[in-house]
Amino acid sequence: MKKEITFTLNGFETHVEVEPHEKLLDVLRDKLGVKSPKYGCGRGECGACTVLLNGKSVRSCIIYAIEVEGLEIETLEGIERDGLTDLQKSFLEHNSFQCGFCAPGIIVTTTELLRNNPHPDKNEVKEVLSGHLCRCTGYNIVVDAIMDVSKDKVGGKI
Amino acid sequence: MQKFEYLKPLSEDEAISLLEKYGASAKALLGGTDLAVMIDDEMVTPKVVIDLKGISNLMRLELRGEYLYIGAGITFNELIASKIVKDHFPLLWETSRSVGSFGIRNRATLVGNICSAVPSADSAPALLVLNSSVEIRAKEGVREVPIDKFFVGPRKTVIQTGEIVTGIKIPLERGETGASYIKLGRYDGEDLAQVGVASYVNSDKVYRIAFGAVAPIPVRAYEAEEYLKGKDVDEDLIEEVKPIALKAISPISDMRASKEYRLYVSGVLLKRSLFASSRRLKKLGPAYGEHLV
Amino acid sequence: MKDSDLKYVGKDAIRIDGLEKITGAANYTDDVDFGASMFYVAVLESPYAHANIKSIDTIEAEKYPGVRGVLSGKDFPERFGLYLKDNAVFPSDRVRYVGQHVAAVIAVSEDIAQEAVKLIKVEYEPLPVLQSPLEAIKEDAILIHPELDKYEVVPWLYPQPGTNIAHVRKIRKGDVEKAFEEADYILEDWYEVPHVVHAPMEPHTSIAIYTLDGRLMMWNSTQSPHTQRNIIANSFKLSHKDVRIIAEYVGGGFGGKAGVNMEVIAAAAAMKVPGHPVKLRYTRKQEFQNTSQRQELHAYVKMGVKNDGTIIALKHQLYWDVGASAEYGSNVVNATGFSATGPYRIPNVWIDSFAVYTNRPPCGAYRGFGYSEFHFGIESHIDRVAKAIGMDPVEFRKKNAIRQGDRVAYGVEMGPTGIHECIEKVTESIEWGKESKTTDPNKVRAKGLACVWKAPAMPANESSAAFIKFSEDGSINILVSGMELGQGFMTAMAKIAAEELSLPLAKIRVELPDTDRNPYEWQTVASHVTWSCGNAVRRAAVDARNQIFKTISEAYYVEEANLYLEDGKVKCYTDPSFEIPFEKFVINGIEMPDGTFRGGPILGRGIYMPEFTSAKVNPETGQGGHPNVHYTTGAGAVEIEIDKETGRVKVLRMAEAFDAGKAINPDLVKGQIEGGFTQGLGTALYEEVYFDKEGRVINSNFTDYKIPTTLDVPEEMHPIIVEVPQPDGPFGARGVGEHTMIPVMPAIANAIENALGIRLKKPPFTAEKIVAELGKILINK
Repeated sequence: MKKEITFTLNGFETHVEVEPHEKLLDVLRDKLGVKSPKYGCGRGECGACTVLLNGKSVRSCIIYAIEVEGLEIETLEGIERDGLTDLQKSFLEHNSFQCGFCAPGIIVTTTELLRNNPHPDKNEVKEVLSGHLCRCTGYNIVVDAIMDVSKDKVGGKI
Repeated sequence: MQKFEYLKPLSEDEAISLLEKYGASAKALLGGTDLAVMIDDEMVTPKVVIDLKGISNLMRLELRGEYLYIGAGITFNELIASKIVKDHFPLLWETSRSVGSFGIRNRATLVGNICSAVPSADSAPALLVLNSSVEIRAKEGVREVPIDKFFVGPRKTVIQTGEIVTGIKIPLERGETGASYIKLGRYDGEDLAQVGVASYVNSDKVYRIAFGAVAPIPVRAYEAEEYLKGKDVDEDLIEEVKPIALKAISPISDMRASKEYRLYVSGVLLKRSLFASSRRLKKLGPAYGEHLV
Repeated sequence: MKDSDLKYVGKDAIRIDGLEKITGAANYTDDVDFGASMFYVAVLESPYAHANIKSIDTIEAEKYPGVRGVLSGKDFPERFGLYLKDNAVFPSDRVRYVGQHVAAVIAVSEDIAQEAVKLIKVEYEPLPVLQSPLEAIKEDAILIHPELDKYEVVPWLYPQPGTNIAHVRKIRKGDVEKAFEEADYILEDWYEVPHVVHAPMEPHTSIAIYTLDGRLMMWNSTQSPHTQRNIIANSFKLSHKDVRIIAEYVGGGFGGKAGVNMEVIAAAAAMKVPGHPVKLRYTRKQEFQNTSQRQELHAYVKMGVKNDGTIIALKHQLYWDVGASAEYGSNVVNATGFSATGPYRIPNVWIDSFAVYTNRPPCGAYRGFGYSEFHFGIESHIDRVAKAIGMDPVEFRKKNAIRQGDRVAYGVEMGPTGIHECIEKVTESIEWGKESKTTDPNKVRAKGLACVWKAPAMPANESSAAFIKFSEDGSINILVSGMELGQGFMTAMAKIAAEELSLPLAKIRVELPDTDRNPYEWQTVASHVTWSCGNAVRRAAVDARNQIFKTISEAYYVEEANLYLEDGKVKCYTDPSFEIPFEKFVINGIEMPDGTFRGGPILGRGIYMPEFTSAKVNPETGQGGHPNVHYTTGAGAVEIEIDKETGRVKVLRMAEAFDAGKAINPDLVKGQIEGGFTQGLGTALYEEVYFDKEGRVINSNFTDYKIPTTLDVPEEMHPIIVEVPQPDGPFGARGVGEHTMIPVMPAIANAIENALGIRLKKPPFTAEKIVAELGKILINK
């Protein structure tokens, strides 16, 4: 049974017709053209599909789109709308990513972390990112890039 | 692709009447971190999914006199962020940090964790040693089930058709206590527990011990608790109590671990947990949240 | 060009695909939109590991509303394969592993396709299931491919019809039996390495359109666009010019996206519904059980040494479980057969490498191409032999490590190698010999080390080609068909061109493959594209530069020999004021006084084929050919901590050094080392595909197949680059991508023995195996 839902997507009110079993990830990608969240596992275990739901990082592959009626969704496309964030710049400078498939999810989760705590320590960063699987890197260059932002910036764009 | 109808009641009464109406063909949805995967795997095939997140009553996390009330909609990250939990229920805080991953904890709820009732549910050993109780509502009214009577079998609880779990109550302790939860997984990243052990001790030297993932349901080791009562733990005492405690469990072999390893390592974790709890009682550390394996 | 003159090569830079990736702008195959005419494919998977197909009834599925086509073995009887054509789009006779695709449904939505596929009825007649190569190789074992003699095969593979052996590679050098008689010490043992999976974060995805005018266009997540075009064109009897493969960014390959896999199903489906794009995207579960896995290996190693530590004899027999198809995996077996000595000088060698069919998913290329698996045995064995004769394992390795000019097992001279320097640097970095201490009484620390070599495994006629295309503003597009898998290929190609054309990286783009537009590349495998495609790009850049000099020379009457390029300008040694920027002429030419023009678009062309290699060897001895182009060598070491009670192993520190010849992207080579180490760490400690008795994969998800996370990698990583130039490499470069994971399993196994005195002979080294080996528990398995 199709139903039109209304929610805020990257700052804009958005309407879309969904069936109850449709996942938020698929609706974002296939119906709304938002492609930065990726399908990696479909079980919430790899983190590639991560988006912010009312500011909190969640796995869009195990959320039904119909659940976000009236809520706010932010994806990497929204996070960077006003230009590259300091976090993205740091990832760029560190050559943190290789194939890049896991990057949007990692950036989204780290954005939540830094918005709530601009100066996390390394253990916190590692802990928060442990739900994001990356098969290419050894993770340390990802963590180093975040620590650079954590150390340096006060009042910077996160 | 399992199709279903989605309903979002705004009150407990409405939720209960819907659950009663649809009976076994309905499933209650909170964080969905377990349910969505089970639906995809066709382990459950609900015709109706009833989303409880619209019920504001379920979103309460508060100290009510002698107990902490955790509404069914409270996520693990909300528990971790709560000062009340951190200050007065550090074991719950420690345990919550071991569940899933950060992104999962933003969504997964404590109540959902126990309702899924997998033997390895991380929150169960802690809730067991904290003498928690589960608040269940039906049309007829509210009943409270002690957590050690809540689990019936793997993925089975006492919840009947037409009932919902509305919250969990954990008694507030006024005296000094020490407690710990140790989860052993295959690695430090997100994993299901191969074995989970929680222990608790208070200044009257009353002990409580619970195991996860080593029996069809999470279990208390009452006999061992009795044996320890009034004593101070040391290596010798732990060696004495170990076989008594391990009588409470009956691990199986699966791809995560053999029953022999689970049995053996339950003893190792029991020792570490009892030592950590005793030291914490005396304020000797290790701090809550520190890795104990 | 001297090293000190280099401005781009060997210097760190931001990778040129970096911005696309951190903004989410990078497109992966599933990100491309195809509009409302798109159909979706769902596949029916075999529930049996081995069974005859009695009948397939698709009538109900065909009638299901929204279905546009159903495919099964009768539609596409052609066999296909890269080296041995033993695979089929859909089998029509029998299924050979659980999950094998038996039929497919094309429908207007994914949901409908999945529902309809359940309506296909297949009648099976179960056959005995073979799950071990040691069982399958027995004389009375049921034949998995009874028609092995009828399959088309490349001339350098030797299938053994009437058996389950798809190929055997033999190496005979010296007199191994006599040498064992002369040895002071002999050790023999078996080692086993289980199946693991690539687990790229992006599952396989393929979209195909068979246009109404009869051409096949595909968007595939692949390492091998041209190889796919070749196989698909041949299988479906299409002209190569009419098959077009477009590759977007690949979200991790690791060998799993080499050759052809599920793409043939998308192609077959597209041909059933001309005019409609059809999409097949694997689920994670399918990614586990339907794409190629890494071979399981059972290896027998017998080594004889003199008391002074000289290795004089090696017998190495490798029994590979290649799964139900050896179309690609047979070459893993072949390549490792040639190199199974490891990086050592051994005068007497006997190697048998058997590709054995089983009823497990087909195996193929996996980062390391079999070298990780056999190095586990060899490098474990070497530690044991060294200790048995009272030598430090590092000293033992230094004594026997191969040097330039030594003869490898198949008789060819070893080229330049920095292996000794790698060992030195790694031991220095890990502080070899310095005791590892911990204050925790429950824990113990130790170190372990292993050496590595690996050659690219390629047909002798593999080749790469490149075009360099200038634009009006003096910027360039490099057209190649090597694949950016994350390793930094694009950045390496850009730097090579930048160096020859003296052009800043900001003015260079490297294009993703499109077989219509970009020139040929064999495949992005074997850690060979920096070397092979790098040579092609360098030649294309030199070609473009020569055209530039010719144009300028003709237009300005300057000797070509006096011209040089600097920062996007043509300059002259004899006239400091002479300066013509590229944008003045690279497209529109140079206007002469009479109003005519000279020159025109600058278009560089370069190809590379290693013309010195030959796969033609004596099948009984492996001698007489030149099957490998060169070897990259290296060493890796770890410091680990083991919890003696729980048995858990944690790697605290790692150091790995590889001889990259010349690191074009030093920063990205280090990224490869850290990433490859981490993948190796997974296979050493956690990863194994579990099968049940019926041959079903039971851990086809990340719940029970654990790959390392931020919390599992060592805090300290020391990636080290050694540079002993490869004479035929671009600026001296050779590949390092795969090598980085090879030392990890044996280095950790050696460290575990150094910590606890126990020798584990099958990874992963789980906590449970360690406490079992310590005698704390008894497990009957």
